[in-house]
Amino acid sequence: MLRRGLVLFLFCLCAVMGAAQDLENLQIHGFATQGFLYSSHNNYLTMKSSAVSLQWTEGAISVSDVTNKLRIGIQLHMYHMGQFGGPDVRVDWASGDYKVNDYLGFRVGKIKTPLGLYNDSQDVDALFLWVLLPQAMYPNDNRDYDLSEMGGEVYGGINLGERGGRVQCRGHVGASQLDANGGYVQQLAEAGLTFPTPPGGKTYGGDLRWVTPWKEVTVGVSALSDSLDGIGPQGSVHLPASLTFAYYAQWRWNRLHLATEVWKTPIDLTLTMGPLSIPNTVDQRAWYPMVSYDVTKKLQIGNYYSHYINKAGDRSQPENYSKDWVVSSRYDFNSYMYGKVEGHFLHGTALGYYPSVNPNGLQANSDMLAMRMGFSF
Amino acid sequence: MKSRNKLRVCVLSLSLACACALVQAQDVVIIANKSLSFSQITSAQLRDIFIGARSQFADGTRAIPAVLKGGPVHEVFLRNHVQDNPDEFRVRWRKVVFTGQGAMLKEFTSESALFEYVVATPGAIGYVSRVSDPSAVRVLTVEH
Repeated sequence: MLRRGLVLFLFCLCAVMGAAQDLENLQIHGFATQGFLYSSHNNYLTMKSSAVSLQWTEGAISVSDVTNKLRIGIQLHMYHMGQFGGPDVRVDWASGDYKVNDYLGFRVGKIKTPLGLYNDSQDVDALFLWVLLPQAMYPNDNRDYDLSEMGGEVYGGINLGERGGRVQCRGHVGASQLDANGGYVQQLAEAGLTFPTPPGGKTYGGDLRWVTPWKEVTVGVSALSDSLDGIGPQGSVHLPASLTFAYYAQWRWNRLHLATEVWKTPIDLTLTMGPLSIPNTVDQRAWYPMVSYDVTKKLQIGNYYSHYINKAGDRSQPENYSKDWVVSSRYDFNSYMYGKVEGHFLHGTALGYYPSVNPNGLQANSDMLAMRMGFSF
Repeated sequence: MKSRNKLRVCVLSLSLACACALVQAQDVVIIANKSLSFSQITSAQLRDIFIGARSQFADGTRAIPAVLKGGPVHEVFLRNHVQDNPDEFRVRWRKVVFTGQGAMLKEFTSESALFEYVVATPGAIGYVSRVSDPSAVRVLTVEH
């Protein structure tokens, strides 16, 4: 608690001292947030949300040094959300980036993984109207694993002229490891498997998007292949390479913003415990429509519906679906500070719930109030 | 008496409308370092440079965009040439920074500081409400 307070204090101090420092080519930026959850039933994301929870603190600081074509940077991130994360500061990304020209560039190190509209930016709360992004695609409990990898990336773009817009592409290959304090490891532990080293595997994929010349309409597709292997004292986990496809579109017209995504993720996981081999097949289908409106320069409001089903399971059972109606608002007090209030109407228990914090079982439906305050410089 | 009041209201409304129209029509002057060999830039190129989609001018010279931290001149530039409001513009660049895809633009608190930076930095491009010393910079015409 003391350490969390100290980190928040340091961030506040930096903000008060005059926002981002820019010493010649050195840039320092950061953000910090404090969240609040209150749910009518069930404890969400391992927080004691049914009894009002403030167990959600995040902060990050990034340092970059830029020369003509080379940029070297690192972003340190700390998060504490219920039983996830903790006081340890971890590397969010750290990379060397060489941009040959507008058509070609390379990035090496710990890089953000592009997938859909928001995967690589999902931990930067200041960018969004929403307290929680659609959990069908961007589950907060598994964010640390989903959003970055150790490896390399090739990126580039082609301008197609004023009538053609712009095409951007990214291709990446690397390796990633489950977060020891994240959701997947907790789920495995609740299934009876622990690991001295969190399971990991190879990952590769790409993203292709077309920023059309019509009113900022962007359409795109991403693909990501993940695999996972881990051995522990009780057994092992094996996930052969599984391919996720994400299709997306977004549109901005004056004060109105629209976005939608459709994801498909087939998973064939095998857990081995002694002589037992337990296959676990999940066919994840997820989509959402999202709309937001800038009421004034400082006030935004919006609504989305996040839909998730496991097509391989019995879809009438709450553990195989999650449907979430969300209404949200955000108020920017100034360029640095903001506050958000959000209502969730959750149906189904497929996402975000853990037996260890819900010992009396789960109710199929739950309503939730989420709030978040933050600042960024 | 009543008709005189009505006339006053009409004149006042007309004056206000004219003032609003003038503010809307107001534009900024696009300036660049004198080392550039051209004096025209397309509106698409200008926008691409300031949203980070392009890092070079048409002749291959590295472009270094510079912006004001806020204020009416910044707002007019964003509205007329980037089609963003200041919040959208800030979010756009914060995303670039916090996802490790780039660095923040050079920001200045005053037009004079921005002007001096453009004068001293090869490839720099920015905007001011009016140019105090036209011989020190290259004033760019925007082709629509």
